[in-house]
Amino acid sequence: MADEPKLAEELKKLADEPLLPVEKKLIAWSLGLGIALLGVLVWLSRTFFPT
Amino acid sequence: MNEQRRGISEDWLAVWMGLLIFVLALGALAGADLLGWGVTTKVWTDFAKALAPVSDAYAKLPGVVSLLATYVFLLVVTTLGAAALRADVRRFAGAFTVVFWISYACWVLGSFANIAATSDKLAAFKISWSLQLTAEAGFIVALAAGLVVGNFLPRFGESLREALRPEWYIKTGIVLLGGFFGVAAAGQFVLAKAVLFRGICAIVEAYLIYWGLVYFVARKYFKFPREWAAPLASGISICGVSAAIATGAAIRARPVVPIMVSSLVVIFAVVELVVLPFAAQHFLAHEPMVAGAWMGLAVKTDGAAVASGAVADSLIRAQALAIHGVRYEKDWITNTAAAIKVFIDVFIGVWAFILAIIWSTKIERREGDRVRAAEIWQRFPKFVLGYLLTFVVGLTVGLAAPALMGKLKAAMAEANVFRGIFFVMTFFTIGVVSNFRRLAEEGIGRLALVYVVCLFGFIIWIGLAISWIFFHGITPPLAAA
Repeated sequence: MADEPKLAEELKKLADEPLLPVEKKLIAWSLGLGIALLGVLVWLSRTFFPT
Repeated sequence: MNEQRRGISEDWLAVWMGLLIFVLALGALAGADLLGWGVTTKVWTDFAKALAPVSDAYAKLPGVVSLLATYVFLLVVTTLGAAALRADVRRFAGAFTVVFWISYACWVLGSFANIAATSDKLAAFKISWSLQLTAEAGFIVALAAGLVVGNFLPRFGESLREALRPEWYIKTGIVLLGGFFGVAAAGQFVLAKAVLFRGICAIVEAYLIYWGLVYFVARKYFKFPREWAAPLASGISICGVSAAIATGAAIRARPVVPIMVSSLVVIFAVVELVVLPFAAQHFLAHEPMVAGAWMGLAVKTDGAAVASGAVADSLIRAQALAIHGVRYEKDWITNTAAAIKVFIDVFIGVWAFILAIIWSTKIERREGDRVRAAEIWQRFPKFVLGYLLTFVVGLTVGLAAPALMGKLKAAMAEANVFRGIFFVMTFFTIGVVSNFRRLAEEGIGRLALVYVVCLFGFIIWIGLAISWIFFHGITPPLAAA
């Protein structure tokens, strides 16, 4: 079995990668969609699946 | 790994094993009591009265014989399963024997009246006090025993390696839980529909909000590159190990990345398992279903999440009975946590697919690298099929033939014996595989810090808020006194 990789060595190799526009868009869409859907899903659940 | 030696996956094995026990239990509907000899442990002060067969049809069977029969049955079934996994069958049988007996001993110990008896039973047991943890205290005892073995007796723990399979055990338990939930849902259809739909809503929210936030924090403030930030975001925010691995594969990260993330996920899932159910008991005893949803959304890994739901279930029901005199039906909190975890697992493949498309087309464009929709199926957690099947069968039979409800509940009680044992073995084995010494490893600080900041800084709080929004005001049905 191969030796387990050493975390410290792996982390030392990390290079700085600035956030790309597409990543910013992914984050923004993910959060924005989550917040926007919140209202819709609350309405759906209270309207069609009351308790 | 040698492809020829690769057997069935633990996922599929959980489906087949869960279905086998489920079908045998359903024999009760046709008058064939095939699993009634399975052992149950009652809350006890006199050990001689602690063990008994689950079915009255086997009332003359001594409890110890019932326990031995349960052990032999599970040994045979799981050893056949180990053979299907291409595990070392002899080592598995030996290790499973140890895992079973330690786990069951913990279960029995946790059922001691001064630990488990609820407030209304103190007089019956002639005791003046109890921790009132219900019999599920055995889960906590098993986890503690596992942590001792894993962290202080590593050679002993290593000798059990072949049977240290918490994901297999919990997934089998979840398949059985599906049938139990289906029958319960047949009796409370409106409530069950609401729980399931709101559970789906909650996980859509959790996916979208959690992932974006954790990815942003990991990239912006902790300066992790994309290869690390994406598996970290999935591991911390979605569903631990399987999400980290699926995301790592989707973005073509090196194997070391999800492995490192997974080791942290397992450790912190245990921390959550120990802390969150008690926090839920303290703060959410009046909102039991919020607590169940919170366990499903906040605790990572299938095992720890469903286990947390089971502990919260027992703690909150005991608290509600002691303080408000309200006796809730058992397992609705567990079922809520399990349903949410199952939905989360279903979406892992979809999310990994979306990330794979974004990475291969926008971030790291690779010539000829096509993302196939089939990958969604490849990453789909197959045990979910077993959960859905047993749920649908339980629900359909319960709705179509209400006259059979009594027999159906008796059948599920028999399946529940084995579900409880799979759960307690999950707790023990999670403890054994949780190596806290990893936290002392050089370089882990930065990775652990982003994990701690995200998990305790906002994941569990956003999870609580989402659970509150969708589940507040919903309570489990009241149990018969």
